[in-house]
Amino acid sequence: IKAYQNRTPERLMENTQDGNLGDWFKITVPYGIKYDKTWLMNSIQSHCSVPFTPVDFHYVKHLAQFFVQDASAASALKDINYKIFDEENQKIPIFVNTSAVPYSMCNKLEPEKMEQLKLTISKRYDVSQKALDLHKLRFDPDLLGHDIIIILNRRNCMTAILQTIKKNIPELLSLNLCKNKLCQLDGLSDIIQIAPTIKTLNLSKNELKSARELDKIKGLKLEELWLQGNPLCNTFPNQPTYVSAIRKYFPNLSRLDGQDLPPPTVTGIVDMDIIKPCKESFKGPETLKNLIFQFLLHYYLIYDSEDRESLLSAYHEEACFSLTVPYNSEDPALSNLCEYLKDNRNMKNLKDSDLRFQLLKHTKCEIVNSLCVFPKTQHDLNSYVVDLWAHTEIMLCFSVSGVFKEVIEVERKSQGSVRAFTRTFILSSGSNSSMCIVNDILTVGNARTEETQSAFSIPVPTPTFSSLSTLSQEQQEMVQIFSIQSGISLQWSQKCLQDNEWNYIKAAQVFATFKTQGKIPEEAFKQIS
Amino acid sequence: MASVDFKTYVDQACRAAEEFVNVYYTTMDKRRRLLSRLYMGTATLVWNGNAVSGQESLSEFFEMLPSSEFQINVVDCQPVHDEATPSQTTVLVVICGTVKFEGNKQRDFNQNFLLTAQASPSNTVWKIASDCFRFQDWAS
Repeated sequence: IKAYQNRTPERLMENTQDGNLGDWFKITVPYGIKYDKTWLMNSIQSHCSVPFTPVDFHYVKHLAQFFVQDASAASALKDINYKIFDEENQKIPIFVNTSAVPYSMCNKLEPEKMEQLKLTISKRYDVSQKALDLHKLRFDPDLLGHDIIIILNRRNCMTAILQTIKKNIPELLSLNLCKNKLCQLDGLSDIIQIAPTIKTLNLSKNELKSARELDKIKGLKLEELWLQGNPLCNTFPNQPTYVSAIRKYFPNLSRLDGQDLPPPTVTGIVDMDIIKPCKESFKGPETLKNLIFQFLLHYYLIYDSEDRESLLSAYHEEACFSLTVPYNSEDPALSNLCEYLKDNRNMKNLKDSDLRFQLLKHTKCEIVNSLCVFPKTQHDLNSYVVDLWAHTEIMLCFSVSGVFKEVIEVERKSQGSVRAFTRTFILSSGSNSSMCIVNDILTVGNARTEETQSAFSIPVPTPTFSSLSTLSQEQQEMVQIFSIQSGISLQWSQKCLQDNEWNYIKAAQVFATFKTQGKIPEEAFKQIS
Repeated sequence: MASVDFKTYVDQACRAAEEFVNVYYTTMDKRRRLLSRLYMGTATLVWNGNAVSGQESLSEFFEMLPSSEFQINVVDCQPVHDEATPSQTTVLVVICGTVKFEGNKQRDFNQNFLLTAQASPSNTVWKIASDCFRFQDWAS
């Protein structure tokens, strides 16, 4: 019975892992250096019909290599040669050869040595800081006393360290590998999976010759890195090039070699994976911002009214207007954009220069005539995102995007289609001092579901009144102007402005919305004299 | 812009825009390092609301962007009225399409350019004076 118990499955597994059973195979991906390790291994694992445990993944020159011990996995890996496509749509070659036992397997540290290493590592671990100090590990007296030589350039040693970290230190924040004569980081690359929490890494005073070594650990979200005292530091002409080269591997880096880094020239733009949008951008003074908001407010109040002809005065005599529809002929949902499609001046499809010329509306009369033909609309000013992206003393160039609803005239209560639009205006003050539109390019498409849902979702105001006399001079003026422009009484104007925190634009927008929805009570329009 | 000449302006703008769009997005996807050369020294980019100015900053910015695959669906352009940019031939170009930045999902975008003509002895070179980029999520 005892003999039988010795052959429990666990025992068999252990034998397999020890490399006592089965042949080894070396898997090679030529030009594997192009690929991120995690991406490559996940792709291979998901295509391979037999699950396998890769051993000693590493890059040599342009190759990526690893080992497997299972003959059936090796054969399955052979089958996926040229079956995986990379991001550039290239097929990835995967070569399989028989191999000797991989280095880290035949040189695995004996259990007693692993135990001693674990003790040494725990001595060097600062629990409060979650920091592991492995500097000059080769000369650690405890290890030398037990005749253990840890050379971190050796894959088996690095693997032993990483295994110990994996088992005993779950939330490592800081790792010091200073003065370990490291000349490559192949063995360290597994740390991305083993200790993804690391924020500080000290690699100073090693033998790293090229910044490209950092490619092997670039998945780490490092905030602080020490590299001084490596030959690679001398490969850069100056400090800024050095900083920007290292930042490419670790975009979140805020300290390098003990010095605080200036914020990247373009803060908040690229988090590498996340490109954070700002709601609006004005690189001009506040007065321009107000000017543009006033313009948009007035323009769209008229545009959404029954009287689009009044826009005539907004355009320069020789202004240009054109319209495009991001039209995909395979998309049936766009067939409802037919009112716009006839004017679609998409040069991607429209090659004829005469047609291109015809569809460019030139002169203000022609422009307003075509604007009048478009369906009646109601724009949601709250959805607007505005970029002022060029301006001089005599011109303003800005883009606005947002959503609008088509108003169905016959049955006013029913919901029209919600569209998304982007419009670029160029305004010029030219010879006479008043600003007018000289260029106008509009793009109209269907709004996404989220846009449709979030649009026009302003709660109905509940009227409360307060006396005009408590208002500031400026507020009183706003109330009067609002009353004149909207045609509602002073009290209702004040109410509307108050409900919208004295934001004139917002108030006007809310008013326009309720007006079209018929939610403004009749009495509001009665002027109290 | 005398109206007799207007078609000439429009044709010129269209040719410039078409050629530019081809060059710009190929350079963006395949030769990113050269992209900032398409900008004037003083050019400004407003990228999702964040402004980047000057060729050096632009080149750093583009280096930081993950590699891209742009697909262009819509191109439109207009000659900018002479009154807005006196004695400086300028074209407004609008582009819509989709872009896949490595490690990000494919997204729709909208991009606007102001191109300005730089006359050289042999030919006319169009450079970017201003650029405005935004992710736009049109119905897909």
